[in-house]
Amino acid sequence: MPALMAGMAFTSCSDYLDVDKYFYDQMTLDSAFSKRQYVEGWLSNAFEPIDQLAESDGITRFLSDDIVKYDGHDLQNGNYSASTNNGRSEELLYKGYECIRKASTLINNVDRCPELTSSEKEDMKGQMRFVRAYAYWALLRHFGPVPLVPEEGLDVSLSYEKLSLPRVPIDETVNFLDNDLKIAARSLPLRRTVNNMGHPTRGAALALRARLLLWAASPLMNGNKDLFNVKDKQGRQLVPQEYDEAKWAKAAAAAKEVMNLGMYSLYTIEPDPTTPDYERPPYNAEYSDKKFPDGWADVDPYLSYKSIFDGTIQGSKNPELIFTRTKTGGGQTNYWVKESMPRTLSGNNSIGVSQKQVDAYLMDNGQTVAEAKQSGYYREDGFTTSASALNEGGAPFLPAGVSWQYAHREPRFYASIAYCGSIWKCLSASEKGYRNQQIFYYRDLNDGKQGFKEDCPLTGIGFKKFVNDEDAYTTGGYTIDKTEPTFRYAEILCIYAEALNELTSGKEYSIEGYNNEPVLVKRDAAEMRAAMKPIRMRAGVPDFSDITYNDPELMRAAIKRERQVEFLGENSFRYYDLRRWKDALIEENQPFMGCNINISNDESRVQQFYRPTVVASMPKVFIQKMYLWPFTTDELKRNVNLTQNPGW
Amino acid sequence: MKKLLILMLLCLVHIAVMAQNAAIHIKGVVQDPYGDPVTGAVVVVKNNPGLGSTTDIDGQFKIKANKYDVLQITYLGFKTLDLPVVNIKDPNNVSVKIEEENQKVDEVVVTASGSQKKKTLTGAFTTVETKHLNAPTGNLSNSLGGVVPGIITQQLSGEPGENKSEFWIRGISTFGANASALVLVDGVERSLNEIPVEDIESFSVLKDASATAIYGQRGANGVVIITTKKGSKGKVRINGKIHYGYNATGKLPDYANAYDYARLANEARLARYQSPLYTDEQLAIIQNGLDPDLYPNVDWQDLMLKDGASQYRAQLSFTGGSDAATYYVSGAYYKEDGIYKSHSKENKYNTNSTYERYNYRANSVMTITPTTNLSVGIGGYLINRTQPGSTSADIWNAFSQYTPLSTPRKWSTGQWPIVNGKKTPEFLLTQTGYKTIWQNKMETNVTLDQKLDFITKGLSFSGSFAFDTWNSNTITRSKSPELWSAQNYRDGYGNLILKREQTIQAMTQASQTSGTRRYYLQAKLEYERLFAQKHQVNGLLMVYQEENSDTNLGSNILESIPKRNLAYSGQVRYGYKNRYLTEFNFGYTGSENFEKGKQFGFFPAFSAGWVVSEEPFVQKLAPWLSFFKIRGSWGRVGNDKLAGQRFPYISLISETPDAGSSYNWGQFGSNHVNGYRMTTVGTPNLTWEVATKWDLGIDWDLFHGLFTGTIDYFHDKRTDIFMKRNNMPLSTGLADQTPMANVGAMESYGVDGNIAFNKRYGEVNLTLRANLTYQNTEVLDMDEAANELWYRMSRGFRQGQTRGFIALGLFKDQADIDQSPSQDNLANFPIMPGDIKYKDVNGDGVITEDDIVPIGYKNAPGIMYGFGLSASWRGWGLNMLFQGAGKRDFFVGGNGPHAFHDGATGNILQRMVVEDRWIPAEISGTTATENPNALWPRLTYTNNSNNNRNSTFWLKNGRYLRFKNLEITYDLPRKMLQHIRMQSMRLGFVGENLFTWSPFKWWDPEGNNESGNAYPISRTFSFYVNFSI
Repeated sequence: MPALMAGMAFTSCSDYLDVDKYFYDQMTLDSAFSKRQYVEGWLSNAFEPIDQLAESDGITRFLSDDIVKYDGHDLQNGNYSASTNNGRSEELLYKGYECIRKASTLINNVDRCPELTSSEKEDMKGQMRFVRAYAYWALLRHFGPVPLVPEEGLDVSLSYEKLSLPRVPIDETVNFLDNDLKIAARSLPLRRTVNNMGHPTRGAALALRARLLLWAASPLMNGNKDLFNVKDKQGRQLVPQEYDEAKWAKAAAAAKEVMNLGMYSLYTIEPDPTTPDYERPPYNAEYSDKKFPDGWADVDPYLSYKSIFDGTIQGSKNPELIFTRTKTGGGQTNYWVKESMPRTLSGNNSIGVSQKQVDAYLMDNGQTVAEAKQSGYYREDGFTTSASALNEGGAPFLPAGVSWQYAHREPRFYASIAYCGSIWKCLSASEKGYRNQQIFYYRDLNDGKQGFKEDCPLTGIGFKKFVNDEDAYTTGGYTIDKTEPTFRYAEILCIYAEALNELTSGKEYSIEGYNNEPVLVKRDAAEMRAAMKPIRMRAGVPDFSDITYNDPELMRAAIKRERQVEFLGENSFRYYDLRRWKDALIEENQPFMGCNINISNDESRVQQFYRPTVVASMPKVFIQKMYLWPFTTDELKRNVNLTQNPGW
Repeated sequence: MKKLLILMLLCLVHIAVMAQNAAIHIKGVVQDPYGDPVTGAVVVVKNNPGLGSTTDIDGQFKIKANKYDVLQITYLGFKTLDLPVVNIKDPNNVSVKIEEENQKVDEVVVTASGSQKKKTLTGAFTTVETKHLNAPTGNLSNSLGGVVPGIITQQLSGEPGENKSEFWIRGISTFGANASALVLVDGVERSLNEIPVEDIESFSVLKDASATAIYGQRGANGVVIITTKKGSKGKVRINGKIHYGYNATGKLPDYANAYDYARLANEARLARYQSPLYTDEQLAIIQNGLDPDLYPNVDWQDLMLKDGASQYRAQLSFTGGSDAATYYVSGAYYKEDGIYKSHSKENKYNTNSTYERYNYRANSVMTITPTTNLSVGIGGYLINRTQPGSTSADIWNAFSQYTPLSTPRKWSTGQWPIVNGKKTPEFLLTQTGYKTIWQNKMETNVTLDQKLDFITKGLSFSGSFAFDTWNSNTITRSKSPELWSAQNYRDGYGNLILKREQTIQAMTQASQTSGTRRYYLQAKLEYERLFAQKHQVNGLLMVYQEENSDTNLGSNILESIPKRNLAYSGQVRYGYKNRYLTEFNFGYTGSENFEKGKQFGFFPAFSAGWVVSEEPFVQKLAPWLSFFKIRGSWGRVGNDKLAGQRFPYISLISETPDAGSSYNWGQFGSNHVNGYRMTTVGTPNLTWEVATKWDLGIDWDLFHGLFTGTIDYFHDKRTDIFMKRNNMPLSTGLADQTPMANVGAMESYGVDGNIAFNKRYGEVNLTLRANLTYQNTEVLDMDEAANELWYRMSRGFRQGQTRGFIALGLFKDQADIDQSPSQDNLANFPIMPGDIKYKDVNGDGVITEDDIVPIGYKNAPGIMYGFGLSASWRGWGLNMLFQGAGKRDFFVGGNGPHAFHDGATGNILQRMVVEDRWIPAEISGTTATENPNALWPRLTYTNNSNNNRNSTFWLKNGRYLRFKNLEITYDLPRKMLQHIRMQSMRLGFVGENLFTWSPFKWWDPEGNNESGNAYPISRTFSFYVNFSI
């Protein structure tokens, strides 16, 4: 009997251990790419870290010489190391490589999905290449050379020694990404519908490529002898030690390819006929009568610039917007609004702008502050009165009781800076008492330093970019949705000009473009002017002089200042620019200056408030090693082939 | 089934017919080698057991037989004697002497392939006589430690139903999912604990790869093989045992009384410059017990725990049979009470912990044809348990937390108390309802054995089917009365100020069921033949399949898939003149847990033995060398149990709608798309854990049984231990999804063995015996971060290595603190003189986690040994067993060892009151109490995070030696028993755990409990009567 049973049971031996039937309807990696919904979900998940990956949501926004927030205190002070609280590095590695793996998995598997057309698959692969490059780019500029993960993924059962990927030379990663983004550009569409904003387009891939190549061409990574000892375990130097001008050419060509798409232009608004003359840029014979981009006759510089950031112009209608991160909708941008908004108006009152940044803005006639001080156009002392705003030659844009030093500045200043005494409109606030409030940061005032509590803009200068006139947090108030400007055309123009400026005069480069057509670039003042002039015209300030355009030194300085002013508060640009230019050792070693927030609104002493003063609670430290962040001790324990950046 | 019955009937008819032919009446006496009459020897006519009788009290028997029949005389422990009737001269006065069986040499061992003479074994086996497993305990596993060489045991609790030991063959050799041995009961994977030892026929332990390779993926941690008793031919025999025992409460931590507690609490407060908790007046009130409400003095252990509880056991078995069929039927009852007192008269139910078990077993073997046997076995149990409504952990925590001074049993106004959210032990034991647990188990076996001599001589087939079920049903009935806290002062009228903290909760019920089911099917082809009297050839081919399922499936599809194994295995043995022995074993076993195509593994083992004593020249030179064998083995065995989740080769994906995993597309994020992400990263090439085992052993017997022994050296290397990869470099992008892989490795090695000395001095039979198991381990790879500090890694150290700071005594003075490396980041109080000073191992000037180093040994013992003696004189018998464990360290801590660990709720040990502790001179008035070598650091009222850390200061040596077992027996004289028609009756006393010697004296050292707050292991005194009819 048992024999009979044995005979019966053992016949089915071959299937005895087969458990596949149980998994049939479970979602495995195989089935994950079988349905459109799953693939789209995967794509969605892979894009998720993009906020943390880079600028828009990072502490680095508050770590340079332009904007200050108390949160950045330890890092500003150089008070960080590989082992101490260094969550930023850990989190970036974690999120970055997770994003890279997810993107690679989709690229390797999406072809299996029967529900997608081949063009949809190509589009998705392109998007994944974009986000993968974005992750790498975020890692690169943070750590310098980083490990490059094989595209086919890793066998997770390998030993840690084998899973410990070493850092690879910068050029290797940049070339890989350059090529990958070219592939992405070829497969991505030129436009997205409004409902699909946030998915990258061809322009986004090319813009990212331009940004990346500019970084690779910049002094930090292009023949930087200071980084001779960034090496892997074999002693191979990872940062190129030979300067290669062709890298600039590549960056310029990449920017040019974005421009050649012909899809993007700077956003401008025509002046309202009722705008009083004194709120127009001072008359300039060359520009005041010409139409954009040769002049500003049909441009309201203040509104044109402000509208891009404060939600007035929606991203989908903004010809300047190349790519935006829509994950949190307007949330990421409105973070700025909440943090900037004075306490009196139920904001967090936490962001300060440095004196250096204020001084970087030109006078409305195009003079620098230094020049204007000599010419007397810049007044340090005294305050506006109710009459002065209205008078021609008085103080346009300024209400009464504001220091004269904030008068006659270029329009971008008024769109960005909440100087002491600026007016917060908060038009959506239902209570009248919260609308059109003039906010001062004097000591012991509600929005100034109270007692010893520095719960206020540490510089006595607030930040106003991204704030819409309607935004309010008090009763009845709301905030306007805003489009986060991840890539906008102005940056591409700046990249183009900056890269061209670095080329030796008379030398022409032919760079192979994303669609295999050559792009010719050379140092050409007219080309640079064509890129930079529109930015200046939109801002209502005179273009650079011919001398500047023809002198690489002057031009370089001019472009640096232009980036500092134009992109304040966007994408941590300043933080990474100073590193890229190797300027941080100078710029970030200067004391962080602002107004003297210890001065109260006492008539006898109030002028003291405006004397540039060191922000005592933000001592700045920058030493050579800080150009590249340290890998965390934990990661060095895990990854045996990882080499620490020098000095850490 | 019908056919079977007819067959059986036919057999019976046949026997009856045979009985008609009797001719000669034979009378005689059976004697042992010393001339004493043997009572109960079975005398049968060979091949005709129906015609049998047993010898009476004078050894006499009567039987009828044909002239050409052969009488067969059998008696347990003696050689079977064949007496042809033709050889009998005087049929009325036959005298037969039977010889004792020389068990030591011809002992038969139950191995993986069946049974085999111990003499011819080449693997590492141990067999244990069941009489040595006869401890008065409900669980067989408690009898193994110190008795079975090669087994290391640890008992963690003494609670009825939980008081079984964990045991490991040759120690723990893996940090993977499963370190436990495979236990086979009648060939099927089953639990050994609930089997009454009286039902056990044989108990063998297979330790090396040659013995276990044929179990393939299941044999890595050794195998225990138990066979239950089958019937024996002859008249029905009834065996009974009644056993009563008393479990005396084991050693518990001794906590300080209220006054000492209050005094030391004041000292602890003052020592940290805090205000004292009690004024002198209050101290006087406490000392004199003047206010039993606000300043009570309750000894909770005394209040709630009995001195002991009773234990009762009874067993009855019937066995007998004929050539056609034999049977063994038994029933057993076991009952054990817990030591909890259930004071409350309100309860109509018992809140004590009790355990009651009914066992049954019926094994029968039917001879269907002369070459065909069918065995049917059924065994199982019913268990009824009760437990208090609170968990054992909560109750014992309460004993260690709830101070004598916290609250009285009840407020004098009648309410139940609560303080700081903590409830009294009495409340937890009697006022929270009760639990009933009901379990049943049924195990069935059907086996068909067929000799296939007609195909070729020596060939046989065996097929078995087994089906087991186990069910458990727990009903928890919980309730709670109101709980009230009191202000620590009284109102103007002197009344208590009470506040209700918890409202009354009526009784609610929750039930939980679980169960398992197992199918097992096996077919076996065996070949055994001796050629030319010298070439012994054995072969075995076996296939089995097994399915285990959990009947409580839940919602996880993966977990509910039955666990299945399918295995092909085999063995080839060749022995030349019993002198040169070789053996090859293999298992080709598969598990459902692995990827298709990778489910099977091949596990080979080779072994060889040389019986030196069989060499003619040795027999000539050293005739005293009765037996001497050298053997060695090498082999691989696997382990398919995986920790964590099943089928980890499959990558699983799931939908994640939360913001952290999805994305909002569209202008202003209006288009939300749920994310899909991998929640399990599939491991490619997933495989079983492999044990590579070496064994080298010798067995000897000197002077014909005078001095016997076995000693083995073993080495076990584990590779491919399956584990979660928790140290993925972030650059792999897998850091959050922790894949699993076969990456761990460790090795273990050691020695085990036993020796025995047997001698008869006149009427005294004496046996001295001893055994030892030593095991040490080294982790080779535990998947740690590759660049971790070497001494913080597991790699290179023992598995389970205890780790902590190195304490350099107590700080002498402030200067000492100032000059020493900073301990500030360990501390929650400023470091003061009298606090524990740690060694700065890495020399960086601060004490951090990086100064934690391996110290001590490990929690589980590295050495286990036992020694004992058995002696018998006439009807008296004496058995003693000492059992010990060594190479063991553990940390003490928590409530009790760490003073005022939880502040107001945190008992202190009485020894802290009386022993040398560091007291600041400002308090004691003399600097003499500032002893840097004091046994206790400066007190702190609440947890002191500097002092209360694992360090050498709190590391205790866990070695112990127990007087484990004392048994005194008396066999009633046979003459006396004759009158009551009994064959034998034995009266016995057994004491278990009678005394323990250990450097650790705070509580019983065996468990792992750092605070001693667990149900203690009891001491047992018991009496029994054992009889057979």
